[in-house]
Amino acid sequence: MMLFVSICCGALTLFLSSCGTSYSVQYETQRVEDTLTVEYSIICIIHGDGDYLYHDTSGHEFKADEEALSKAERIAQQNPRAEIFIFHQKPRRHFLFFFPLHDGEVYYYRNGRLSANELYWRDQEQSRFDPEMGLYRRFRTNNQYKAVRLFLYYGHEIPEYGGAGYDESCPDRTFTVQDLAGGIKGFTSDSVRFDLIVLSTCFNGTPYTINILAPYTRTIIASPDNLHLSYFDLLLFERLDLSLRDGDVPAFAKRLALQAFNRLTRDIQTAVSVVVYDMDRVQGYLNSINSVYTNRMAILNGQASELVEHCDCAEEPEYVQPWMSEGVDVFYRPARFGRSKHKQNHSGWECWREKRPQRATSQTAEPVPK
Amino acid sequence: MKTRIVFGSIVMMLVLAITANASGKGEIQKYFSDAASKVKAADNASEKRIILNESFHNMSKALDMVQSSPLISKDDRAGINRFKTALQEKQDELSGRNGYVRVSDEQLNAFSDYVVQDMEQAEAVITIGIVTLLLIIILIVLMVK
Repeated sequence: MMLFVSICCGALTLFLSSCGTSYSVQYETQRVEDTLTVEYSIICIIHGDGDYLYHDTSGHEFKADEEALSKAERIAQQNPRAEIFIFHQKPRRHFLFFFPLHDGEVYYYRNGRLSANELYWRDQEQSRFDPEMGLYRRFRTNNQYKAVRLFLYYGHEIPEYGGAGYDESCPDRTFTVQDLAGGIKGFTSDSVRFDLIVLSTCFNGTPYTINILAPYTRTIIASPDNLHLSYFDLLLFERLDLSLRDGDVPAFAKRLALQAFNRLTRDIQTAVSVVVYDMDRVQGYLNSINSVYTNRMAILNGQASELVEHCDCAEEPEYVQPWMSEGVDVFYRPARFGRSKHKQNHSGWECWREKRPQRATSQTAEPVPK
Repeated sequence: MKTRIVFGSIVMMLVLAITANASGKGEIQKYFSDAASKVKAADNASEKRIILNESFHNMSKALDMVQSSPLISKDDRAGINRFKTALQEKQDELSGRNGYVRVSDEQLNAFSDYVVQDMEQAEAVITIGIVTLLLIIILIVLMVK
């Protein structure tokens, strides 16, 4: 009996210590830091409520969200003139099956130092980043005159419609690209557009996603095809005062995309695609296909998921326009195996279509790449 | 006696929760990752092919057995079908069937990595429920042992 009571007491202590509104709150109102101007403002959202496990080629196991978190923290520590918010969206868990635990954690770095670290509750029904925005407004500095503004999102493909089930631990919560855009709008409401948005997700290089984010950024990096869970390499972010010294964000985005592409193609056998979208220059193409895309999606949206598939927009005549490559820099390498291994180019735009039977004889005449 | 029952129940619940958390999709991915490690460690190409073929065969067999169970939901059945299709494609490519050029001996290590990476990205695995995944894993473990 004594043993049981001791276990219960221990469990209760653990529960109480983990359920406070914040733990290890290190928010230091160090005014001295405000003397350093914030030249780079970064918001980083890392989704970790799903299947994010992957293995490297040596068989080592990694959790993509935890890897992304540690990289983001390294970036934060190595940028003395930056303000960085890292929001880690975690699975909803319960202590002893009944007591809910926080499903979000924020890390706020300023001038290379961790200024705040809190647990928080995420939106419960529709994920529109309201709690994240509240934390952002609470901690951000006003000392960011003409700061370069960057937004990073790590996660699985963000759905264009529906969105239920994006969070594995909370399948009723919905999250779509409209919600993402709504959230980003909130982060930009008092300021100018973001200079760069990086979507480290699969299949979000679509006309719809890029179009809906267009009002809030000048440049986007996204993947129109599958993206391995090791995500885009962000080494260039580690010393922004050096890599972005000239303030030329579009050129920086291209260097970043090329570096990410080179790193991914080294280890990854599936398709690799990294695309830089110049928002002012892609607008013509987006406007020209907007109604076609929306109508097509309305039809496909009613079909079972196994009946529709992703495809390069260039393979569908109704999306092909002479100016579709305007404003897109595409870094693409096909999968080394599988049906698509001979697809040598990608337009940089991903669309949807009804699933087609696979051509069984399409590869017999092709040479095997070594 | 009562204390023991209560204590036992708590321990059981914790063990079940931990098992469910640790297993499922991760275990399926680990299965293919382990196969890839064995492929790379193998001395010659024919051994590598045997390892890959066996890993596909055992997984297909487990999927068939689970799929035939009346306890499996319609959604999981559809998920298993997609998973089986993805697996069949890889078996075909390895052997050079159904329009595929046979994976060359020099490419077998890279192909084993491709299988792991493609399975980690496969939507089919993602849409199979935890109970069904656990059944598949149990069968795989029994078959491999």
